[in-house]
Amino acid sequence: MKNNTQQEKDHPSKKIMPETTLKEIKELNTTIKTTSEQIITQTISHLKKINPNRPQEMEYFDELANMFGKRTQELEQYKAEGKKIVGYNCIFAPLELIIAAGAVPVRINSGWYDTSKLGDRVVPVEVCSIIRSTIGAKMIELSPFLELSDVLITVLTCDGMTKLSEILGGYKKVWHLSNPRIKDSDQALKFWNEEIKQIKNNLEKLTGNKITTKTLKPAILKTQKATKAFRRLQNIRKDNAVISGQDALLVTQTFMWDDIERWTEKTNILCDELDRRIQAKEWICPPDTPRVMVTGTPMFWPDNWKLPSLIEEGTPKGILVADELCSSERLLYDPVGIDEWTMTDMLNAIGERYLMACTCPCFTSKDGNEDRINWLLTKIKDHKIQGVIYYVTRGCMLYAMEYTTVKRALDKINIPVYYLDTDYTREDTGQLKTRVEAFLEMLNTQIDL
Amino acid sequence: MTQQQTNEAFWRWQEYQRVMPNKSWTKNDIITAGVDVGSVGSKATVLVNGEIYSWSITRTGSNSSDSAAKALNWALKDTGIQQSDLKYIIGTGYGRVNISFANKALTEIACHAKGANYIWGSQVHTILDVGGQDIKAIRCDDTGRVTSFLMNDKCAAGTGRGMEVFADLLKIPIEKIGEMSLNITEEPPSVSCTCVAFAKTEAMGLLRKGWSKEKVLAAYTKAMAIRMSNLIKRVGLEPALVITGGQSKNIGIVSRVETALEVKCLPIPNWRENGIDPMIAGALGAGIYAKAIYDKTQTTRD
Repeated sequence: MKNNTQQEKDHPSKKIMPETTLKEIKELNTTIKTTSEQIITQTISHLKKINPNRPQEMEYFDELANMFGKRTQELEQYKAEGKKIVGYNCIFAPLELIIAAGAVPVRINSGWYDTSKLGDRVVPVEVCSIIRSTIGAKMIELSPFLELSDVLITVLTCDGMTKLSEILGGYKKVWHLSNPRIKDSDQALKFWNEEIKQIKNNLEKLTGNKITTKTLKPAILKTQKATKAFRRLQNIRKDNAVISGQDALLVTQTFMWDDIERWTEKTNILCDELDRRIQAKEWICPPDTPRVMVTGTPMFWPDNWKLPSLIEEGTPKGILVADELCSSERLLYDPVGIDEWTMTDMLNAIGERYLMACTCPCFTSKDGNEDRINWLLTKIKDHKIQGVIYYVTRGCMLYAMEYTTVKRALDKINIPVYYLDTDYTREDTGQLKTRVEAFLEMLNTQIDL
Repeated sequence: MTQQQTNEAFWRWQEYQRVMPNKSWTKNDIITAGVDVGSVGSKATVLVNGEIYSWSITRTGSNSSDSAAKALNWALKDTGIQQSDLKYIIGTGYGRVNISFANKALTEIACHAKGANYIWGSQVHTILDVGGQDIKAIRCDDTGRVTSFLMNDKCAAGTGRGMEVFADLLKIPIEKIGEMSLNITEEPPSVSCTCVAFAKTEAMGLLRKGWSKEKVLAAYTKAMAIRMSNLIKRVGLEPALVITGGQSKNIGIVSRVETALEVKCLPIPNWRENGIDPMIAGALGAGIYAKAIYDKTQTTRD
């Protein structure tokens, strides 16, 4: 644990959080970490219990789910060897460049409920739960990934992320990555490509490694393979109920901190097992189980896992077959498309993949955020979705405001959508359960008289 | 202590049981039950061949399962029907998961729509259910099947519990509250805050300022009605509109919701005579679903 005076030396004038004594930091860190490890163990054994015939290859991801476990030790080892860890708060961060520079990318958004209450000491309670929770996690140095990061790439997508960047900047070196709010203009892409180049220069300076065609090409190939494995998993879920939505979400979630190559390999092995289960017709739920998709605010491990479990474990049960979350499906759906392996082409392709393919509600155009609508409509058709849950946590303004547009589009194709608002808390589970179950009853044709 | 007990009487609404007159049953009939354990009231219905036979309305105690048993036993009282005669029981409401003797649980949203469809008929397409701890706006088709719904946050604002608090504060029996809120010469502006805790403070301020109880009540009732109307607007009003739950009997709420939405609700059945009390809509829907699901299990077995 780094002490406060050391932090002050690093960033003397920028500390925003109230003074927390080392004793309090230590105490809160121990309590919350212990609770968190218990919750992780409980959630995993619960997933095993509710599905006795769970894919065996989930075991790898189960172990990875303990964020304080082996992966943290690995990252510590990398650091000891002189490798740099680059934390990021949003999927706009160009992973390929981080890898090409010989650094290790890791996502730092917080899913801890308890730390969001600590965040209330710094920002008002109306602020987005994820932001408050991340602030709280930093306050007590809880997140191993955030703490181990040598630098943070903070993307200025929404207001919360923008100001979070300032707060974290008091404790860590921060590189801003500013995305334009409009995609379809030449100057937007130009501006964005300049931002990407700046990150490249910064990475080279940090690591002392020049990013060349020789290092960038294999990095791109690596993420392309990850995308391919991810798409394979999603394609399996299209037509075959062989994996629960909760398990699939755990696979995508762990991508955020795992070694990309190893994650790809393990995901492919899991898909092999799922393919065998399709052959053996080992379905995890009856064929008439309502097929649900979730869209909205990202969900983060380990605490903010209540919605998937409410969908798949209530009365009646649904199955979560797809999502449009930047913490899952959107992470990996689009590969970097390369025409020629020249430096200029590769950099442009990276810029384009992160900007153009993204359906984040921070974007608008003269037709609104039509990319997101189109993406949702395609997904609904491909995955035979019967109902959509539009999930928003407190203070998540962009997703909350885009609901009306999404609802209008889904009304046109007669797909029911339910707006579910919640916060980083366990207290509203009963209320949410009634809402989710009533929605599933609505989709369920079995209770037709 | 004595003071507190006198206060309690104001918000205490009437618990009662009813057996429908001129109906009978035999051992060959399919008898089902629905039990709706809400946060404030527990309701039970007994149905013979899908027709309402008897019901009860009681206060929910600290234990959901006990409250459910109490409501059901009371509904069965003087009917000659034993619990063992019941072919299928469905639990609903906030405490639905804790009803040990129920065969199945359904949400109160599905049940209220079905119950309203039974009480008022197929013309019902929008239901406002004002429960003890939440309010729900439900849309349904001609058969009483839910097509969409909205719920407010877990908050006493605009709920039956909020009304109880006001009855207590103003020392007016809860049954009289609706009429009294209309006993004014001019409708006052609504209280600015629907949060029960803050509205209470605001109301006390208004009383000190010299407002009559009726006027304060009108201001609070109006605020609640606006909150309810907004929820209905958000879900989309498709006539006919009905109100279920305890507040359906609050004429002050009903008339103000009608004014805000510029539409008339279907009148509540005269439950003191032979009509069905809209407070039991959820339990009634549960009983209807119980019959339907029981029938289905029989056909699959044949």
